[in-house]
Amino acid sequence: MNTAIQTQELRIHAQDFILHPSGAVYWPAQKMLLIADVHLGKITHFRKHGSAVPETAILENFERLDAVVQYFAPAEICFLGDLFHSHLNTEWELFATWVAQTQLPIVLVAGNHDIIHPQRYEKLGIVVVAEKQCGSFLLAHHPIAERTALFRICGHIHPGIRLSGLGKQQLRVPCFYKQVHQLILPAFGTFTGKHLITPQDTDQVYAVTSEEVIPIRYS
Amino acid sequence: MNRAALFSIAHQWFETQSWKPFPFQKQTWTAFLQGKHGLLNAPTGSGKTYALWVPIVLDYIQKNPDYATRHKKGLKAIWITPLRALSVEIKQAAERFVAEIDVPLTVGIRTGDTSQKERAAQKRKMPDLLITTPESLQLLLASKGYDTVFKDVSAIVIDEWHELVGSKRGVQIELALSRLKTLAPAMRIWGISATIGNLAQARDVLLGVAPETSANAVFIKAHLQKKIKVRSIIPDQMETFPWRGHLGLHLLPQVIPIIQQSTTTLLFTNTRAQCEIWFQKLLEHHPDFAGSIAMHHGSINKETRLWVEQAIREGSLTAVVCTSSLDLGVDFAPVETIIQIGGPKGVARFLQRAGRSGHQPGKESVIYFLPTHAIELVEAAALQKAVKTQTIEDRIPYLNSYDVLVQYLTTLAVSNGFYPEKIYAEVKGTYCFQTITPEQFQWILNFLTLGSQSLQQYDEYKKVVIQEDGRYTVESRAVAMRHRLQIGTIVSDAVLTVKYLKGGFLGSIEEWFVSKLKPGDVFTFAGRNLELFRIKNMQVLVKKSHQKKAKVPSWMGGRMSFSSEMSALLREELYAVAAGSTKVSKELKALTHIFQRQQRESVVPSPQEFLIETFKTREGYHAIFYPFEGRFVHEALGSLLAYRISLLLPITFSIAFNDYGFELLSDQQIDMQQVLDNDLLTTQDLKSDLQKSLNATEMARRKFRDIAVIAGLVFTGYPNKMLKSKHLQSSSQLLFDVFKDYEPDNLLYQQAFVETFEHQLEEGRLQLAMERIATQTIVWKACKKPTPFSFPIITDRLREKLSSEKLADRIKRMTAQLEKA
Repeated sequence: MNTAIQTQELRIHAQDFILHPSGAVYWPAQKMLLIADVHLGKITHFRKHGSAVPETAILENFERLDAVVQYFAPAEICFLGDLFHSHLNTEWELFATWVAQTQLPIVLVAGNHDIIHPQRYEKLGIVVVAEKQCGSFLLAHHPIAERTALFRICGHIHPGIRLSGLGKQQLRVPCFYKQVHQLILPAFGTFTGKHLITPQDTDQVYAVTSEEVIPIRYS
Repeated sequence: MNRAALFSIAHQWFETQSWKPFPFQKQTWTAFLQGKHGLLNAPTGSGKTYALWVPIVLDYIQKNPDYATRHKKGLKAIWITPLRALSVEIKQAAERFVAEIDVPLTVGIRTGDTSQKERAAQKRKMPDLLITTPESLQLLLASKGYDTVFKDVSAIVIDEWHELVGSKRGVQIELALSRLKTLAPAMRIWGISATIGNLAQARDVLLGVAPETSANAVFIKAHLQKKIKVRSIIPDQMETFPWRGHLGLHLLPQVIPIIQQSTTTLLFTNTRAQCEIWFQKLLEHHPDFAGSIAMHHGSINKETRLWVEQAIREGSLTAVVCTSSLDLGVDFAPVETIIQIGGPKGVARFLQRAGRSGHQPGKESVIYFLPTHAIELVEAAALQKAVKTQTIEDRIPYLNSYDVLVQYLTTLAVSNGFYPEKIYAEVKGTYCFQTITPEQFQWILNFLTLGSQSLQQYDEYKKVVIQEDGRYTVESRAVAMRHRLQIGTIVSDAVLTVKYLKGGFLGSIEEWFVSKLKPGDVFTFAGRNLELFRIKNMQVLVKKSHQKKAKVPSWMGGRMSFSSEMSALLREELYAVAAGSTKVSKELKALTHIFQRQQRESVVPSPQEFLIETFKTREGYHAIFYPFEGRFVHEALGSLLAYRISLLLPITFSIAFNDYGFELLSDQQIDMQQVLDNDLLTTQDLKSDLQKSLNATEMARRKFRDIAVIAGLVFTGYPNKMLKSKHLQSSSQLLFDVFKDYEPDNLLYQQAFVETFEHQLEEGRLQLAMERIATQTIVWKACKKPTPFSFPIITDRLREKLSSEKLADRIKRMTAQLEKA
């Protein structure tokens, strides 16, 4: 199934990173898989409040997680915030089962949606931190506007890009958004929206489809 | 009291007003007192209120001979109006009659504008006549003990039924009526409708499919033909008149003298944006108008609208620029002149607008038609004919609107709860749901109670629960509250309120427009230039701005299609030109130079010809097709053809359409000979190809937005109310995708496609159009540049997309725009 997957390599601060179509980033030197904005529990949250989102879609996030873990075989997973959409609900049990099966060290950089008590994560063996520094890199949830000494890898905004072409063609697709000082990951979760960005010429944008990561040219 | 005695009460009152009852009024009185249901076909300003209110009162007198001394408590009649603005007018008329004949009946209004306090008071003591809207009636059904409120109702009148019959609000009424019929068996059902093409069907929709109801029903027509004169405003210099555009400002100088010549002029525009711009430009061009002209559209706050309406009645305004917001109801006697800016798209609407002027008996109504671009003059000529021949279109009722049914059943579950077997029989008696099967109804019940069709292990779905006695109820207070808030939501984009920073409500505006603005940007709203300060809690906070240049919000909607009747008339006009007829109208004569240029660069098609033009610009390869069948048919045909071509090769199209034709634009050249050789315009496999093309375009996706809101799948929030619903916000677009991938057999998801089919694409019309085209000779012109006919189409920015290419391949050919430095 993974044979058609086309990733994209990116070199930042003398380190290699691999961008995956799912929206995850693999950091080979650290054997670390970075994933932002899964928003687990969102569908259940909606259903609990009377909005009948198809429940079969719930499993999709876990299938995608399994697929990308299998693809890179990382030694560690770091979630860059908004792992769980809202309050505790039954999807937590699915998540707990998934964590147990995965058997990998997991770190959660807490995001604004992560309102579940850290102790619950810790019971599953997950370390919850506000942010995490690795060498000259800072793993965080929120992007920032100004440059800092550390290169930031983060999520939160669910970046997407508007593309146009000949024949009045227009598209909006989720993307990786690399600025001089930070890399913003697209939302990993299904049933999440996107926020359109407007890049500057010093930025790089990589659109993602279900199978490919595609560098974007500017007009 | 016998009928003659009762009638004499009414006659005497009419005499004191120096009026004489019209035959249709007397017919309605008789039929009502005989206990019949019915549909009354009468225009606005004809005395239709007294046609029905009088017999309701007489019936009360008859049944309560001691009416003068003993008042029987409780609700006796309901009057439904689609526009709450009309309720005051109706109340005044109703009160006048009962006050002057000394019958102590009270009249109350209950709409979205009614205060909480008044609602509570009404609950304790209902007025005798309740004037309300379809939404507020649903809300009454959502309150506990509604059955006792309605049990003694003797009549329900649905006013302006023609406005409701082709909408989902009409379905809301059908369902409410199905409940009331059971609760109040003595209730008579009456509709009042302006003339539409399908009046007989409109009556069936109102009364439902139960034979005993229709057997006891009448149809009454008011024969009050008014003379209507249509005058086109023709540009002095046709050569400089634009080929496209939709504002019509070029002709503004010619409008000024028309306004000056009459007491009050109403200028009807097609969109709120156009309304704002015309108001501004009229003032700029003729500053003397300041203070004596006003603006009226649906986004302006209620106080201002009511003030404008009152000022029209008093004759203190010279001109009012308005939208369809002034289409309905109330009489404006001082209005002398109507100007329609741009095509009204429908004969019924045009006639209704024309009828807003010249109310004095025997007086002729004059309506000016102001074309916004050259080709629209053809429309003017067609309208003239339509008015003469009274060619009026149908309003197509909705069938199987599961979203409204989901909403309705939740409503019943919120209040008293319901037993499915009983409600199923009632629902099946409506016109809308006459074909619903027990399986489909069970699907809806499962959807409400399980959120799906089977019970899943981890599920926490909560909405409607089944009690031990089999009653379906809502237990969660949060669910009930959200549902009540949602009932009133008009299906439109998320709407934000516009307010001054210092306080003061200006109106409401669609979210998508505001989302394009940054703080500091200036935009025009309610006739003022405003600077955006910030957006917070569904409120747009603004300051006054003196900056001259401003953005004008372009509201969604307002894009209507020609009816098939209008399209046929339009074709006749064009063919007359092609045939070189000398009898062409002055509108078409004015267009001579454009037709000459079209003839030179391409051809003006004859009735036997179907024109296709191809040319290349720097935008790409254009192919234009001219069926002259109206926007909706073109939308369908454009999608169908694009789909069929996309089967031949991987290709991406941008499709544009107007009432004259449609365009397929691509970055690749289309081999037109191949299209013709493959007979891609065939009616063979029409239905399945059209269905597949729907999947490939975004049309159904857009329809789904309304469905998701009505069925309570997405919660839109509510202006001015801060609700902790942030984690429940989602776009219907996301939801559509999830259904597509995981539950494609969901009835609500399916409904989006059916509705697109029946209401947008009008498959039946498409079939007829294609059969007509099949008899024509195809004339393919490879042109050097855009032709006069093509111009309005290729410059249209509202487009449909269709692609058979791999997403990644498309992305690789496209680029992103950089931030402007």
